[in-house]
Amino acid sequence: MNKTIFHSIFMVCVCLLISACVKDTDFDQAEDIALTPIVELDLIYFNLRADQFYDTINSNPVLTVTDTTEIKFLDDSSLQESLKRAEFYFKFTNSIPRDFQVDFQFLSETNDTTYVAGTSVSEGIPTAPIITEYKEVVEGDDILRLTQSNRVVVSVTIPSSDENLEGTLNLKSKTTYFLEY
Amino acid sequence: MRNLFTFILSLVGFFAISQNKQILYGFDDIPQSLMLNPGSKVSQNKHYGIPFLSQIHFNGGSSGVSVYDIFKDGNDNINDRITQKLFEMKNTDFFTATQQLELINFGWRARNEIYFSGGIYQEFDFIAYFPKDLAILAWEGNRDYLDYQFDLGEISTTGDFLTVYHFGLNKQITDKLTVGARLKLYSSMFSYRSVNNSGTFTTRLGSESSENIYEHSIENADVSVETSGYVSLRDLDGASQVTSEILGRAFFGGNIGVGVDFGFTYNINNAWTLTASALDVGAIFHTKDVESYRAHGDYTLDGINLIFPPLSEGDPTFPYYDDLEDEIEREIPIDTLNNSYTQFRPAKINAGISYGFGRFSVSGECDCMNMGGDELHKHNVGLQFYSIFRPKGPQMAGTLFYHRRITDYLSAKATYTVDSYSSSNVGLGVSAALGNVNLYIAADNLLRYSNLAKAKSVSLQLGLNIIIDEE
Repeated sequence: MNKTIFHSIFMVCVCLLISACVKDTDFDQAEDIALTPIVELDLIYFNLRADQFYDTINSNPVLTVTDTTEIKFLDDSSLQESLKRAEFYFKFTNSIPRDFQVDFQFLSETNDTTYVAGTSVSEGIPTAPIITEYKEVVEGDDILRLTQSNRVVVSVTIPSSDENLEGTLNLKSKTTYFLEY
Repeated sequence: MRNLFTFILSLVGFFAISQNKQILYGFDDIPQSLMLNPGSKVSQNKHYGIPFLSQIHFNGGSSGVSVYDIFKDGNDNINDRITQKLFEMKNTDFFTATQQLELINFGWRARNEIYFSGGIYQEFDFIAYFPKDLAILAWEGNRDYLDYQFDLGEISTTGDFLTVYHFGLNKQITDKLTVGARLKLYSSMFSYRSVNNSGTFTTRLGSESSENIYEHSIENADVSVETSGYVSLRDLDGASQVTSEILGRAFFGGNIGVGVDFGFTYNINNAWTLTASALDVGAIFHTKDVESYRAHGDYTLDGINLIFPPLSEGDPTFPYYDDLEDEIEREIPIDTLNNSYTQFRPAKINAGISYGFGRFSVSGECDCMNMGGDELHKHNVGLQFYSIFRPKGPQMAGTLFYHRRITDYLSAKATYTVDSYSSSNVGLGVSAALGNVNLYIAADNLLRYSNLAKAKSVSLQLGLNIIIDEE
């Protein structure tokens, strides 16, 4: 009797524990799992009035205005590893009757210039603003340079200005980040 | 990130509706069936669980995806499979893991015919619903989902690690009716939950009058995580300190709760028997070592607005980025609270109806399986119902079973269960008496044992008891 019982239990255990297996699977594939989100994110925006290009106190034209902002996440180590491509999109709407040169200078923590981009903006008409679009695609080795910066200096240069100049230069911008984890 | 993802995917396969012990329920030859129905029929006079070995229960599952779905050998790309599954799964799909280890279990029949039983077991219980929208956002990003409202309310997960002290009574009141109840004291070692969340995240293309190209909006956000037993662990150094602290709480050092189980067995006639039980009807009162985090509010991100202030050489401009961070923190503050909270245990309902036939006549001197003297049936067939209350509503399972007394010493139960995981779950349990030692093992999803990777759930219980039938 005992022999039968042991036999039965043994068989059940064998069935449950030994026949249980994991087949037709390849866990090495885990290496190939890649999250590839594509993230759209606003970048900077501004509204520059024509009078910002003229110093009324000293009666002097101000041909270049600059401003700087930190973009702290750019030189984050995880972004450095995962960013494969970045597409910057800038949309200028200009109603100032001048063309402009707009430069973007990316700086590292130690004030080194790591990446530069820039474009010219078409001359506008106060009653009919002109739109200039500009795309900058960063990939390959440039990604490494871009992701060493944590700040961008924006310089807007006007060829000439006077106190009667009217209109505004508007910028809207966004970046598309192609990531891979 | 990828490691975390792989880890979650591997949890999916290796860890049945969670906690459903459809094989043990009504399997009266095994003393632990009293834990599933305090009002079950007790045939023995005494039992002692062999410490740490009387019940080892392990159960895990995922309702929407199996390991095989993701890791199968094939020419297609694993990422394509994940993408496909991501969209197939629903936000009501879930991952669960439950583990129980009985430290002590004992019972005896007193002179007044009441069967007293008690013991201590440790339990780990985890459930996480699939936050589909956030998974899509992480997997694909927001580029192809402009104007889509990602639902932050899909975050719903709880986890508990506790010790349960219990003591119960069981008595046959009439020829037909046996009832029982069990009082439980819970000593919570660690607990967290994040439920009843709300809010949306949307990226919209701005209009002409918008500040920037997009508007990234978080609307009506209210996301919270409640923890108990976590704060004091956070400051500890190393695994050994954490382990000793947690074990200290097992003996009422942590947060305390109370609950009851009750159940009955009713013999409708000689052949038909009706049983039902409610388990873990109770709550844990988290008052010590409690810390909760709550983020709530609305915010729309437009990017960084450059002002171009007139500055002299060397003057710093505005700290735009820091200001932006401060603004977000102001609009969607993350509060740290130390409020006590009450957490209801996931209550479980079991019910069964069985039909017995074929008189079981014992051979030999000892009617070991039937000290109560009732007529035993050789075969029992029936239906069982199981339900557990979870954050997003009850999860249910139906079971068809066949119980067979094979010899004086051996009985077996086969089950076919339909639940959230599958409609082809076949289980088998065997209980054997070797002298006074009762050994049992029960496992479900046997059809999948030939390839566990295809199983969406696995459940296993085994244990050793000493059963004494002598008066």
